[in-house]
Amino acid sequence: MSSAEENVEPASLDPAAKAELDRAFEDLYRAHLRDVYSYAYYRVGNQHDAEDLTEQAFLQAYRHFDRARRESDGRPLRPWLIRIAHNLASNYYRDRSRRPQTSLENADPIAARHGTEAIAEGREELREVMANLDNLSDDRREALIMRFALGMDNREIARALGRSDGATKVLIHRAIKQLQEEMSSDE
Amino acid sequence: MSEASQRVTGSTWDVEHLLSDALRPIEPPERLSGRLEDTLSAVTQAAAEELSDWAEELSESELRALRDPRNWVRPVVAVGAGGAAAGALVVLELRRRGRQQAKGGLRSLTGRIRP
Repeated sequence: MSSAEENVEPASLDPAAKAELDRAFEDLYRAHLRDVYSYAYYRVGNQHDAEDLTEQAFLQAYRHFDRARRESDGRPLRPWLIRIAHNLASNYYRDRSRRPQTSLENADPIAARHGTEAIAEGREELREVMANLDNLSDDRREALIMRFALGMDNREIARALGRSDGATKVLIHRAIKQLQEEMSSDE
Repeated sequence: MSEASQRVTGSTWDVEHLLSDALRPIEPPERLSGRLEDTLSAVTQAAAEELSDWAEELSESELRALRDPRNWVRPVVAVGAGGAAAGALVVLELRRRGRQQAKGGLRSLTGRIRP
């Protein structure tokens, strides 16, 4: 791809093309706002930073949307969008030399999302699995967030993480196995 | 049999079941949708030349004040409808200047604007 093509931004398109691109981006945004926010929330562990990361992810996505669409060959763009959020979250912590200030265990998404008596019985188990999730390596934890919070399949996760389908399948299998072992050893 | 007891068979946890319960999608707060739509709406209306002309008028001290992403994202919320486009233009201009110095992610947006 030429450098000129790489630098294409929405504002430089002709008005009709830009209007069509904006409509398509709006569809993408409406379809995946919850995905990006959920991913950001589980990565950073608090609402404030999750909102900032979500906003930054969509701004960056907008800038590169035209090129991403051309290169996607009609494949869903959700993995690309989640990959942007993934990279932003990684840079966010690297720049500040810090890990999430609030761990997944303490973020209490359980109460935030369920908040009824129905969770009372299983609450400790959910807290335990969240605590153990927090102890996984970054790639294993992120793969499980994509699988369970976003409902992504192996191929989507592979694209989002920049891995092969096979490597992603192994990654998820090992992540679940590790969680199982740690949950059992906690008993 | 209770839901909790279904999650464990002997000493083997049904981790996938627990993960499905624990990692449910989270609805974004309503204010985030409004904030994002304002920002994106402003961005989509900004012409490249207008952006460039306007942004060149920013002083370096104004850019320094916007170094932290928390300082350049949040003003978009604070400004009224008339100022939303300006907030978005700041974002884009910071990105443009960051690109000129090097490629990168968030770091290029925040750390490369030197006095």
